Amino acid sequence: MSSERSLSLKKSTIIDVDVHLQIKPAEVAEYIEEPYRSIMTKSHIGNPLPDSGWDRSMAGKIERRQVQGPEDIHQKLCEEFHINHPIINAFGKLGKASMTKLAVSLMKGYNDLVLEKYLDGYDHFYGLISVATQDPEAAAEEIYRVGDEKQFVGVFMDNTGPNPPLGDPRYDVVYRAAEDKGLPISYHAYDSGFIVDFPRQNAALETFFSVHVLTHPYAHMLTMTSLFEHGVPEKFPGLKFIFLEGGVTWLPYMMYRLNKIHSIRRFDAPMLKKTPEEYIRDQFYVSTQPIGEPNNQDDMRKIMEVIGYDRMMFSSDYPHFDFDHPEGLEKFLRVNVPAKDRKRVLETNARGVYGI
Amino acid sequence: MSDHIVAEVSEIKDGERILVELKGREIGVFYLDGGYYAFANWCAHQGGPWCEGNLTGTFSGKFDRSTLEYRLDWVKEGRILNCPWHGWEYDIKTGICLSRRSVKLPAYPVRVEDGKIIVTL
Ligand code: FES
Repeated sequence: MSSERSLSLKKSTIIDVDVHLQIKPAEVAEYIEEPYRSIMTKSHIGNPLPDSGWDRSMAGKIERRQVQGPEDIHQKLCEEFHINHPIINAFGKLGKASMTKLAVSLMKGYNDLVLEKYLDGYDHFYGLISVATQDPEAAAEEIYRVGDEKQFVGVFMDNTGPNPPLGDPRYDVVYRAAEDKGLPISYHAYDSGFIVDFPRQNAALETFFSVHVLTHPYAHMLTMTSLFEHGVPEKFPGLKFIFLEGGVTWLPYMMYRLNKIHSIRRFDAPMLKKTPEEYIRDQFYVSTQPIGEPNNQDDMRKIMEVIGYDRMMFSSDYPHFDFDHPEGLEKFLRVNVPAKDRKRVLETNARGVYGI
Repeated sequence: MSDHIVAEVSEIKDGERILVELKGREIGVFYLDGGYYAFANWCAHQGGPWCEGNLTGTFSGKFDRSTLEYRLDWVKEGRILNCPWHGWEYDIKTGICLSRRSVKLPAYPVRVEDGKIIVTL
């Protein structure tokens, strides 16, 4: 990056709300007990967490980027991308682990690992607490166990795989724990989970193009609908909900569709005391990546105005194949929106929501 | 503003309604728990004939955060008007829409004199 290009970035403070780790099974194994440790290291299939096998690389056409370890995050994100504060998640695919006890064990392992390797030595890093939704009681206990760690600023939920969907009352214990600890919930889908939630489509679609286009909005739409069906934002008014890696443009569609159907079928979601839009404009947030790309850029400005600059938070998703470079978004915001709104998206919304 | 006699009190039984036309407008006049309520037959959603909808009860949700218990009660039986077009629910005693609290259908004043029901509009 030339110094001229990065000048404006350097002047902004940027919080990246979606930074993934790539933790190898053997690495997390060191943080968990037997027999789960051996399951992670001696499994005959490599990684016992299921993967649907879709090829991300297009037969190797795009370069393989990896971020290995905290120093790498500091170098690549903080130095090169000018991210001041990465908010790290372990990216454990816990929603689909086939053994509940393994998932619970991994949950604790990931959290201890993130704390020890990433947060303890790096004051400018923040992290999200992984939870295994297969066992909501254990997930709640975990939030109480590590929720006071200053650098843990939220709870991370894999929302491809959990069944029933995440608004179900069985998860209320998790939401109560998060609200008790003042921690927001971040939802994140996984392409490999598409095969769990939408197996028929996964079998019918021919390419990773289709799977990837659909995974994140499908998962978020399902989660959001389930939250409203059961009145979760009404039950926990102090809780904030963040939807990662779906971009922003799906939100208006859902907001207005939920309004419409709720007005007709309040009978089915009677916990809600307000319109879904009112809850969304108060308690819900989206991360920007992968930002949609209209042919006419001005269309994005219009959509963002509808969503509101108080609802969006910057994320890069680096090093994944559809990452957004902060410079691209910063430039778009610089050209299209007032400085105070740009600052909200890049920095202050995340500060407020995650308490940074 | 003028007064209009729309019916004798004996003509609307408890929980019932009549539809009348006043000044070219369709008006629904309801009698419920000893009170009269009059509204234009026009739903705030898409203009449906809401005064012709069913009067039912509705669900009210209660949540106890300490026990995480979640209960639905069926309440206000006979007091909730469901627009026949898409089912928006209104509380007949207030005109307030249950799913959109900012929507309130304006009521016309109703009074009874000498056994006659009089609507002002
Ligand atoms: S017109 Fe009354 S509910 Fe649609």
